[in-house]
Amino acid sequence: MPTLSSDEPRSLTRNNVTVTGNPLGQPIMFAHGFGCGQGAWRYVLPEFEKDFKVIAFDHVGSGGSDVTAYDRGKYDSLNGYADDILELITDLELSDVIYVGHSVSSMMGVLAANRSPELFAKLILVGPSPRYVDDGNYKGGFTQDAIDGLLESLDSNYLGWSSVMAPVIMGNPERPELGQELTDNFCAVNPAIAGQFARATFLGDNRRDLAEVSVPTLILQSSDDVIAPVEVGEYVRDTIPGSKYVVMSSRGHVPNLSDPEQVATHIRSFIE
Amino acid sequence: MTDELTASPDLFENAPCGLLLTAADDSVTHVNQTFLDWTGYSRGALIGRDFHTLLDAGSAAFYATRYQAELWVRGEAREVALTLVRADGSAMPILVNSQLVVSDAGERSAVRLAVFDSTARQDYEREMLIAKRQAEVSEASVRVLQEASTHFLAASSEEEIAVALARSTKDAFAAFDTAVVLFDEAGDHTFVVGEHLAEALVELDTLRTDTFAVRVDGMTVISSQNEAYASGQRAGDLMRLLRAEAITAAPISDGETTLGAFLCLFGRPREFDHRSIELHHALARQAGVVIARARLQSMIRRLAMHDQLTGLANRNLLGERLSHSLAVSKRTGEPMALLFVDLDGFKRVNDELGHRVGDLVLQTVADRMTGGIREVDIVGRFGGDEFLVVCESSDREAALVVAERLAATIRLPIEGIPDSFPITASIGIAMQLPGEHDTIDGDALVRRADAAMYVAKRSGSDRISFAA
Repeated sequence: MPTLSSDEPRSLTRNNVTVTGNPLGQPIMFAHGFGCGQGAWRYVLPEFEKDFKVIAFDHVGSGGSDVTAYDRGKYDSLNGYADDILELITDLELSDVIYVGHSVSSMMGVLAANRSPELFAKLILVGPSPRYVDDGNYKGGFTQDAIDGLLESLDSNYLGWSSVMAPVIMGNPERPELGQELTDNFCAVNPAIAGQFARATFLGDNRRDLAEVSVPTLILQSSDDVIAPVEVGEYVRDTIPGSKYVVMSSRGHVPNLSDPEQVATHIRSFIE
Repeated sequence: MTDELTASPDLFENAPCGLLLTAADDSVTHVNQTFLDWTGYSRGALIGRDFHTLLDAGSAAFYATRYQAELWVRGEAREVALTLVRADGSAMPILVNSQLVVSDAGERSAVRLAVFDSTARQDYEREMLIAKRQAEVSEASVRVLQEASTHFLAASSEEEIAVALARSTKDAFAAFDTAVVLFDEAGDHTFVVGEHLAEALVELDTLRTDTFAVRVDGMTVISSQNEAYASGQRAGDLMRLLRAEAITAAPISDGETTLGAFLCLFGRPREFDHRSIELHHALARQAGVVIARARLQSMIRRLAMHDQLTGLANRNLLGERLSHSLAVSKRTGEPMALLFVDLDGFKRVNDELGHRVGDLVLQTVADRMTGGIREVDIVGRFGGDEFLVVCESSDREAALVVAERLAATIRLPIEGIPDSFPITASIGIAMQLPGEHDTIDGDALVRRADAAMYVAKRSGSDRISFAA
């Protein structure tokens, strides 16, 4: 008999939620950033499965999420994504949540924790930035032109000729999924949604939300990150009251993939 | 790989594509001559430098987010379109294929990159993209307007039109919430959609100053919370309360009268170009025309049911209400009353003082009667100087109280009418009691009340009489 899952909350399929690890453990929730799905956490999750209830999910439009749930108004800013996070926590009946957000998901976590701080035990922000575009004395690391360039870059990679023609050029057009079906889903991004997700990510301004954080927070900063430079990490540290700040030796914007051991070690020492 | 490099140095150095090897952290360890020739860098300048620093800012951002994530997760990335910056600062569009090199021990040790010059393709593709984008934008505007007009046509009331407008604007501009305000004839406003936003929006509106609310082509635009805070703490706090970074407000007009406004709330700072402003107005115009039409229709409905001179219910509406009250009485077993009111002295006023004065008397009496009945009663003009009052759920005593109150208020002097022209009322009351006259219909009840009124009139004017 196939199991009926009709009583499963809609949010769990919408966000392609996976729950692993110790069912009795404290919940630790991993949220992926722009450019990938929950696959971005694949090397970090196993480190926590012994002791914690591990929750990973895809934002709507990424990975294996339900794209039919995409609402252009709701997901035009990080508030819509933060609402989803709170809904998942409620539907999974979690409390005392350790939230780990990478990149843009760190700001989603801040918004969610500011709305319902009672649900969160700790926040871990990996490569956070409250605003990417420079503004007066604030240095986000990007000019408006650079952001326009990124959006352009997205267009040429997702919407242009290359994405349509690539499977044909690369062979196996009749089975483009060959050999990639397992991993593809982990990092899939819906091209039609990627542009708006990029705008919600890179054109937002959440600096005012930082000061309102009341949950104990760890900031994990890469030593060399073009997306979230060290100056931005320091700004986040200075603005979130009582936050802990660690500059890792790992480089690049995705240390959870390039240096998962170091990321896991810092998370562990903060939550244990 | 390094072994292969030494095995065929010519193919590596002079391959028809750029070839690079980087360490896992992106720093270049090997680069071929073709890449150096294309870019104008010396080998010494590139070795040890991170590959992403050779890209323009937009490409570097894409590289650090999407490209590197894909490379790390899938082990390879293909046909990635990037823009490289040559040594002389000029831009060079490239396509990159790359592979993650994993050692036997599972250590991710290096990345192989093949770089292709895509200048020619890029120009072609860019033209296609620009054309595609323009086509998409105009197609989207047309689609929004078409869908909106479909929804408007299906709507049968102002409220439904407002709901359809809210849905269309939310979709068209990717707003996270919307509000639609309509003004009634008295100039009062109602939030038909977005009642939960009303308090904050109204306060924001009163705080609004030119410093943060820009008027663009008749539309109000607040682009960011920063703008709001620059004009005052309260304005900014209200925006945060609404969780809005930007707000637009466009008037709804039928071309002559402003009927209301619609507001869109956005979750991030926004700039609005000419096309988007124009689409706001186009939607507002469409909605304005259908709202005006709906108002006209409801006015026609009202005219068909009301007396033009006095604004009271006319015979049609009285007939409906009377049937309704009789049905209620039958169902609940409660009595009801019908009052037939005929003015005394009205014919003399009309004949000697003229029709205009007669009309004034009728209007004054109508207003007084409206003020003299109970909430559940309805008063209507039956014709000439005859009025009917339907009193639902009313026994004899209650009906008599209403009748006496009406007689008293009608009897009062009317401004502009000499004392020598007194106006009073003869009132006949017909009761519909449970168990009695079970088969009675509205017309029969009117006839009974009319007969009672004649009895009152014959026994001298300004009297009240019950029907037998």
